[in-house]
Formats: sequence, C-alpha cells, structure tokens
Amino acid sequence: MQKLWTLIGAALLVAGSVTLSSAAEPVKVGVILPLSGGSSIAGSEVIQGVKLAIEEVNAQGGVLSGRQIELVIEDDESSPTKGTMAARKLIESDGVVAIIGTYNSAVSATAMKVAAEHKVPMSSGGSTSVSVTNQNEPGNPWFFRAFPGSDEQGTQSAVDVIEVLGKKRLAILHDNSAYGKSLADTFEKVTVEAGAEILAKESYNAGEQDFYSVLSKLRALEPEAVYMGGLVGDGANIVRQAAEIGLKALFVGSGSMMTDKFIELAGPASEGFAVSSMFEPNTTNDYGRAFAERYKTRWGVSANVHAALGYDSMTLVAKAIDRAGSTDGVAIRDALMKSDDVPLVQGPPGTMAKYDEIGGVSFKIGMAVVKDGKREMLPFNR
Amino acid sequence: MYTFEFALQILVNGLITGSIYVLVAMGLTLIFGILGVINFSHGEFYMLGGYLGVVASSAYGVPLLAALPLGMAGVALLGIAAERLVFRPIRDRDVTNSIISSFGLAVVLQNAALLAFGPQPQLIKTSLSSISLSAFGVFVTFQRAAIPIITAILVILFHVVLRYTWTGRCLRAVAQHPTIAQLSGVDVNRVAVATFAMGAALAGGAGLMMASVFMVQPGVGNMITLKAFTVVIMGGMGNVHGAVVAGLLLGVAESFTSGYLTNDFRDIIGFMMVIMVLLFRPSGLFGRAVDRA
Repeated sequence: MQKLWTLIGAALLVAGSVTLSSAAEPVKVGVILPLSGGSSIAGSEVIQGVKLAIEEVNAQGGVLSGRQIELVIEDDESSPTKGTMAARKLIESDGVVAIIGTYNSAVSATAMKVAAEHKVPMSSGGSTSVSVTNQNEPGNPWFFRAFPGSDEQGTQSAVDVIEVLGKKRLAILHDNSAYGKSLADTFEKVTVEAGAEILAKESYNAGEQDFYSVLSKLRALEPEAVYMGGLVGDGANIVRQAAEIGLKALFVGSGSMMTDKFIELAGPASEGFAVSSMFEPNTTNDYGRAFAERYKTRWGVSANVHAALGYDSMTLVAKAIDRAGSTDGVAIRDALMKSDDVPLVQGPPGTMAKYDEIGGVSFKIGMAVVKDGKREMLPFNR
Repeated sequence: MYTFEFALQILVNGLITGSIYVLVAMGLTLIFGILGVINFSHGEFYMLGGYLGVVASSAYGVPLLAALPLGMAGVALLGIAAERLVFRPIRDRDVTNSIISSFGLAVVLQNAALLAFGPQPQLIKTSLSSISLSAFGVFVTFQRAAIPIITAILVILFHVVLRYTWTGRCLRAVAQHPTIAQLSGVDVNRVAVATFAMGAALAGGAGLMMASVFMVQPGVGNMITLKAFTVVIMGGMGNVHGAVVAGLLLGVAESFTSGYLTNDFRDIIGFMMVIMVLLFRPSGLFGRAVDRA
C-alpha cells in the first residue's frame, strides 16, 4: 500500500514538472554593479538605464519567441573580490546567459575572467579602463564595452582642453585606481605633446574626503585648468573644496562626473565645470534624445551618461540573445559582435555598435559644461 | 610658491583635521584606559553622529550649532546601549572577546546605517557653506574654522570633568585599579556607562561637525577608526593628553606631507609614524610601560 502511494506521488510530481517546464521560462541576465560604497551614485543610475531597457524589451514580447528577460542583481560594493564572487554565483547558481557589469574597472578586470572561463558574455556597466578590454583575446572577446575606453576619453579631454578651452598651464588630480591612472597618463601625454605645461600631477585614494591640503598646493601653483581623473563623489568634493580654499581654475572632469548629483554636491562651485561627455539629454543624437524623454517619463529624473550606457549595454545584450536564437553563450557572444546595425543612444548622431576585435566601440566624444546649474552639451563637431 | 602664507594655510588645514582625530582618539583612549576595552566600532559612533546631524538639519531644519549637543547626546545614548548589551556581559572574560565583539558591533552598525539611510553620500547643507573667511592668505569656511574652536572647548570641558568632578575621580580610580576602586565605594557599572557615553559623544560630535564639511556614508567609520588607533598608540594607550598631542601631530603631518611632498603619501605618513613610535617608544610618546597582568 505504502509503495503504491509513493508511486502515485512520484507520477504526479513528474507530470507536474513536465507541465511547468513547457511554460515559457524567463531568460536570466545577471547584473553586477556597485549599489553601495563610493560608487553607489553611479551604480544606481546605471541600473535604472538597464531596467528601462528590460521593461521595453519585455513589453514588446521579450526574446526568443516570447520569453521575458529577468534580471538577477548583485552588489559588488566596488570590491574585486565581491565582484568575482558575484560573477561566479550568477553563472553557477543562477544560470544567467549574460552579465551586465560592472562599473569600477578594477572589479571588471577580475570578474571578466570568470565570465570568459564559463563562456558567458559580459557587457560593461560603466567600466572604462582599456586594461579590461586589453585582457580580451583579439577576435575572441568575452567582455564588451559599448563606448570608447579610457585612453580615448583621456585623449579627447586633453584635445578639448587645449583646443576648445584654450588652457595651457595644467594640473592633474587623479585617483590611484586603474581607471584614474590611465586617464591621467593619457591626458598628460597628449597635452604635453600639444605644448602644455603640467604643473603638478597628484593622486589620492578613491573615497578620500580631505583634499584641502593638496588643493592649497595647487592654488600656490596657479594652474589655468585642473583635470580630474576619478569618480563622481570625489570629483564633487574636490570642486567644492577648491572653491572654499580659493583655488580659481577651470575644472575638467572625466566621464562619470557630469551628473545632477555632482552639481548638487559641488554646489555653486560647479558652474563652468566641463566634462568629456558621451551623452546628455540635449544630445544631437536622435535616439539619445528620445531615450532621454522616455527615461524622464519613467523615472522622473533627467537621464545622464550612466543611465545611457546602462540602457545601451542591456539593449545590445537583449538583441544579441534574440538574434542568437538560443541561450548558448558562444552564440550570444557571436551575435553581439555583429551589432553594427544597432544604434546607440550615446555618441554623435548615427553612432552604431560596431565592436572592434577586443570588444570596444569607438566614437567621437562630446563635451558638456555646467551652465546656470544645468548640464549642456556642446556640439560634437566643435 | 612655498611662501609663508602657504605654510600657514597648510598648518591651519592640519589643525582642523587633527582636531577631529583628537576627538575620536580621546574617546577611544578613554574607553581603553578605564575599561580595558579595545573598541573597533568607535568609528561607527563617528559615522552615526554624522547621520544624526544630517537628519536633524535636513528633516527638522535645526541649525548646526544646536544640532551638535543633540547629536552628541544621541550618540551617547547609543554608546550606553552598546556598553549594556555588548560589552558588559563579557566584561570579566578575556579581553579578546571584547575586541571581536566590537568588530561585530561595527558590522552591525554599518549595515544598519546602510539599510536606514541608503548608500548615497549625504551632506549637511547649511547657509554658512559658501562663506569662506580669508585672513593672511588663509582661506577657510566658517564650519571648518569652528572645528578646532569647538574641539578646544570640548577638550577643556573634558579635562575639567575628569579632574574636578566626583565622576571624573571615579573614572580615574577605575583606570588605576578597578578592584580597589570598587572597595572604595565606586560603582564600576556606572563608571562603565559614563565612559562609553563620554567616549561615544566625543566621536559623535566629531562626526557631526565633519558631516557639514565632508559627506557621510555608511563606510566612513572604517578609515577614522584606523587613524584614531594610530593616534591612540602614538599618544600612549589610555593617555588622554597624549591623544590630544598625537592627534594634532598626525593631522599636521598629513597636511604637510600633502602640501610639500605629494598627496600620494598622505595616508602612509601616519602609519609610518606609528611604526617608528612602536620601534623606539613602544608605550607611545607619553605612555608609561605597564606589565600585562
């Protein structure tokens, strides 16, 4: 009698699981971003861009004939150890087919190794340093970055400072991460070649709060412009403290600093602040402007470069999954590499996701300035 | 470039930073000197003081100078709770237990702050923020200028309490010898409560003042705990006057390193100094060698 019941129970279980598995299972995509710690401002903005992309894809029927995309989100706290653990967990426990992440280049550099090992494509959530894509095997990349890397950003900033802003006596203040250092080195190289004078090149620990003394030193050297290579929180602190200490120079920031939060934290000292920017809500790129409107409707705040790159990253991955026709990592990766016909919201009008052989995309970077407390993009062809 | 005005600016910067180190280190060294507890969660009192200040000024519009005593009182209550719940039950056991417990407390407090306030950095905004005083080529905002002054007041107040009140005498008695103090009629429990309250209040006050200058986020306690420990070790563990001198010394050394050498070495200088002190005067600049009982 006992055996009969066990048999019936097992049969029901099998029947039940067969019915369940025939329903459309969601496709899981992992997200690794710093949602706490020093880069949390940026992380929270990137993820909003990612979520908007997912909502739009799912509203249009999802991918692979009606399967919805489900995000599995992990906080890497800007720590390479935690980022690597998150990548392992997402791939091994959650079975994600692709990963969006991460923001800090040092974390991406280690997490991408896990992704490459398991053949799961990873799309940058803001990490810019070329040291990450340089780890890709040419022609066989597993880490993708849908926007220019730190060397291009540093170069563009340097060119703009000399030619558009006309400053020759410069100082550099950078954080000692892979990202900050690479920006500072590129900036120095390009400006020196163009005949500028670098009065000082100082570094700081990311998350450092007290810049008064190093800024006093810069004040004594009287530079015309100060280039900051680092994250938005530190940048805001630096600009605010510089004004308090009486340092009168034009501040030029790097990729992630042009956000409303920066303007809020830096206060009135942010007036005139300039950043090489790949996206602003008033960009001349039509897709970008349309995205900015949808973002504002959805989240109630204006979009910035973090949201834009999150959106681009997720859109490209979703399209790649659909085109691959399966959840196989190699198929998705190969489809991703053929994304040249997908328009990006970042960059000048007509920018497409044309990945090079180590997974990076190149386009002309614009410059945005803070005018009357608002971010404004200068024309791309200045 | 390296003019007298520059040196003065660097010195002022150093004294301001140093004042904060003094307040946090004084509380830490007090707790160690009187209760023998090495409190690794001390930086969290600093962090919570900062958050109380943010709440008071943004939610209730309390001006900065009024928020300070309120914030200090709030953190003092927290310190008392910590003493009661975490440290008293293990007081008579080996000191390693309280070290590990304090680590645990630090993690709990940090994550509680993360849950309550979120990961975004917060700043106390006052109308005084943009006013920069300038004299003899030295630029300093009102908030920053107030820090050394308020610190000096607190240190003097503290010294008066310690030396001239009954409570202070009880504290000093327990620091010298807990058993004899108890025999002489001192209630060790009340002393423990008072010590934690005072130590936490000092750290909370420092955190609150700094929340108007820098930003608060749940992780700010970590670095400040480290720096406070280096100050306490340099000044001699348990030596309050040593903490005052060492705190100012560290602040000024960091500032001069940043201004005259390079900012890259700013955090390293403190640790190098503490290594030197441990090599040549292990009991600190002002400490006396004691045998571990």
